[in-house]
Amino acid sequence: MIIELGHYALVLALATALVQAIVPIAGARRGDRALMELASSAALVCALLVAFSFAVLTFAYVTSDFSVRNVWENSHSLKPLIYKISGVWGNHEGSMLLWLLILVFFSALVALFGRNLPETLKATVLAVQAWIAAAFALFILLTSNPFARLIPAPGEGKDLNPVLQDVGLAIHPPLLYLGYVGFSVCFSFAIAALIEGRIDAAWARWVRPWTLAAWTFLTAGIAMGSYWAYYELGWGGWWFWDPVENASFMPWLAGTALLHSALVMEKREALKIWTVLLAIMTFSLSLLGTFLVRSGVLTSVHAFATDPTRGIFILAILVVFIGGAFSLFALRASRLKSGGLFAPISREGALVLNNLILTTATATVLTGTLYPLVLEALTGEKISVGAPFFNMTFGLLMLPLLCAVPFGPLLAWKRGDFTGVAQRLFVAAAVGLVVAAVYYYVMNGGPVLALLGIALGVFLIVGALTDLVLRSGIGKVAGSIAWKRLSGLPRSAFGTALAHAGLGVTLIGIVAVTAFETETVVEMKPGMTVDAGGYTLRFDGMRQGRGPNYTEETGHFTVSRGGVAVTEIWSSKRLYTARRMPTTEAGIRTFGLSQLYVSLGDPMTDGGIVVRVWWKPLILCIWGGALIMMAGGIVSLSDRRLRVGAPTRAKRPARLALGAAE
Amino acid sequence: MLFWILVAILTAAAAVVLILPLMRAAAPLSSPHSHDIEVYRDQLEEVARDQTSGLISGEDAELARAEIARRLLAASAADTGIQSSGPKSLRSNRIAQLFVLVSLPAVGLCLYLATGSPGVPAQPLAARLANAGEDINILIARAENHLAANPGDGRGWDLLAPIYMRSGRVEDAVAAYDQAIRLLEPTPARLGGYAEALIVQSGGLVTADAQQALKKSLALDPNDPRSEFYLALGLKQEGKQQDALAAFRKLAGNSPADAPWLPLVNQHIAELSAGQAPAGNTMPANPTSEDMAAAAQMDAGDRQAMIRGMVDSLSAKLKENPANFEGWMRLIRSHVVLDQRDKAREALQQGLKAFPATGDQGKQLLALGRELGIDADGEEE
Repeated sequence: MIIELGHYALVLALATALVQAIVPIAGARRGDRALMELASSAALVCALLVAFSFAVLTFAYVTSDFSVRNVWENSHSLKPLIYKISGVWGNHEGSMLLWLLILVFFSALVALFGRNLPETLKATVLAVQAWIAAAFALFILLTSNPFARLIPAPGEGKDLNPVLQDVGLAIHPPLLYLGYVGFSVCFSFAIAALIEGRIDAAWARWVRPWTLAAWTFLTAGIAMGSYWAYYELGWGGWWFWDPVENASFMPWLAGTALLHSALVMEKREALKIWTVLLAIMTFSLSLLGTFLVRSGVLTSVHAFATDPTRGIFILAILVVFIGGAFSLFALRASRLKSGGLFAPISREGALVLNNLILTTATATVLTGTLYPLVLEALTGEKISVGAPFFNMTFGLLMLPLLCAVPFGPLLAWKRGDFTGVAQRLFVAAAVGLVVAAVYYYVMNGGPVLALLGIALGVFLIVGALTDLVLRSGIGKVAGSIAWKRLSGLPRSAFGTALAHAGLGVTLIGIVAVTAFETETVVEMKPGMTVDAGGYTLRFDGMRQGRGPNYTEETGHFTVSRGGVAVTEIWSSKRLYTARRMPTTEAGIRTFGLSQLYVSLGDPMTDGGIVVRVWWKPLILCIWGGALIMMAGGIVSLSDRRLRVGAPTRAKRPARLALGAAE
Repeated sequence: MLFWILVAILTAAAAVVLILPLMRAAAPLSSPHSHDIEVYRDQLEEVARDQTSGLISGEDAELARAEIARRLLAASAADTGIQSSGPKSLRSNRIAQLFVLVSLPAVGLCLYLATGSPGVPAQPLAARLANAGEDINILIARAENHLAANPGDGRGWDLLAPIYMRSGRVEDAVAAYDQAIRLLEPTPARLGGYAEALIVQSGGLVTADAQQALKKSLALDPNDPRSEFYLALGLKQEGKQQDALAAFRKLAGNSPADAPWLPLVNQHIAELSAGQAPAGNTMPANPTSEDMAAAAQMDAGDRQAMIRGMVDSLSAKLKENPANFEGWMRLIRSHVVLDQRDKAREALQQGLKAFPATGDQGKQLLALGRELGIDADGEEE
């Protein structure tokens, strides 16, 4: 009975969303406060209902209730508890329910923490959120119902895809969805502004915390996904320009642009139309990502949905929301008044450059992702657009952007002094070159371009610090005053510095791995050795083993440096018995920020085995930098100014800082 | 009944929470620009703070102040233009209340009745295991749990193996027979069952592994008809017409006149002695499935459906996950054995999509296609 109750709760959530989608809009039009207040109650009820429904599905997984078809298809009674729980969203139906849960969760947050918003804006935002929620609830119930029953119930489940049976999966999709779906709030704000026909600097401040929160989660989700692919797939790569990866990367690029353009709008009331457009585009790209992944139009590692009817349904949602949003934009954009003026060399100018490059980069990624699909649909020819395309286009585009990043925060608003800033950044550039030269000396013979790449990365980090140093006046004024100034800086200034420095760290990781990585593919027999990154690996032999639901062959390697054994590495190949599916469990050892990565290939007839050994210098910087960027987002979110706007100052300690940052 | 009461309570609770704001006498609307004014005031304070802490010069601060002040004025001016609207007529609230009261139960019930299964109880596995009754799936699961705890119980595996076969879980049956043979002693019944499971697993093909088991079985009991039959069938599939014919004739000679497998054996003899084309090119429709039905003395229809089901499930699995080279090889073979040549060709083409003909595995697929006499329709060129 509990299962059916969960199902009914989902249906009731759809009904609530329909009410929430219609009544508050009418209220906002008529200026009727009671009708508008219904939006908040409805958002909370809807969130509770979907949460209950999700909890019921989780309960079915935990108790191995195979009378639920979805549980039977994706679970197994012998699976460890954590994978039973993560199995809830490890499949199409469950992940769509998670998507919906996060959507209504964000609506509930707007309802709870949006007291600094004007009533009409809040009501309209919540109504737009409800349109999206209703569309997806209907999609779930009609095409992907996780509560479909199976009578008589089978005695055992069909297991989870073993590649997905991993802690990474437990965390990666929820984070990614928090990011994807978080941008729905920005979308709703943009649509609400267009409906109201009123948009100003205050709007930008209100929408910023939501952009920041979504951006932070998406950063975390992408980094997690990249690390997961790195250690689970056994290919040694950390980014594949796989369409699914691109699908999450495009909203990130557009979201980063949005974050920066909203800044200009808040300070100077310029770039209004552009900001609204970016908000619409970012969520559209999120929807497109959902469509690409969920409709099964792609066949890649992540594609686990196959039914074409679903694809058509999502496509319909896509067309209605994106098409509707752009039509509304075309209708209303001309009415929006443009704002302040600025010189090309200024903070605004730098941010416009950032926006231009980021949107162009998004467009190239979009092209590279969709072109093969369109080509296949039109001609049936199957091509794949891989790293060379993206490196040539995306990589080249990023270069000027990265060079410009440290200049942005140092330039003054309205009109800036380029030479002054360049002089102030001279130290950062010098430090960058020195560090790169030292690294070059240590690595002894890397390509010159890599040298410049490392220099650029260090320039980014030191440049970000320069901003803080200059603003606090360290070295110019007495230490105590400098400290007072530093601690008096708005949190968002620290957030900016952290995010920019994180970008530098990631860049260093990418350059170091790309230029200095070594890959050795060798056929090994016990006793043989192979060198990588200054370490020597000796292959000691294979061992058979058995896990709870798999059998495995494990190779043992002793790692030594200069003849002294340092550590050991186990690398294995597993065969999951229920699905007869092989997986690779790469053996990874960390030395500082670098890693040794050992992956087993096929056994040879003469008793040897193919072994791939990678030395990945500074690879942890890639994800470490993402973590630093995330920290920047969180610090920015805690900025006090994000919560301003309520005429009757509600002085409550906002633990969930959901206002806007500088 | 309890379920419907809970559904009613849930719906009513949701409706009450939604209607509550509509029942209250609405407070007057705060002016729409007061929120903006608050933000601009904060921006002014910030400029002042920055100036006192020396972050911006006095000149810049003045400019910024002037700009924010302009926004502030604009917002205040817009505010005075709007008269604060008094409490609205209750009529629109009534309509909204009615809408909530009707739409929640109407949408909820209609959609639920269309998609739900009211009255089906939750069936947690633990409860089912505790009270299995006639539930064959649960009996199997219970035995599996027992064997997971005592993997050395050979009799358990021996009992479970044929049950697996009957419920179509062939891979599990192979493993179970394997365990039973290893833990207990090999008998013709176990070896024959093992071989049969292997044959079904490979889509009707008598594989080398299966032949080995069958030969062992014959060594134990030279007159085991099932082993003799499958070995003969294997010879026929390999194209050794004469040997197969001799083996089938021997089996027919040894069988009692009313043996249920005799008609099928005779059919094979007839085909072979008519000197038909070698196996692989023109096979009679579904011989293997019927063969196995006869050999196991089971209902032919069940078996055939079972094999087709297995091939279909393999095909579905490959659609889901095409990066499975062995799977494609097996699927193509199975379709040929079932005489579904169109489907075999289709499978070959799909397999070549996953493993392009330029690669090693693609070449193997093409070679298999040539061996079985199917071509990939131009994919070869």
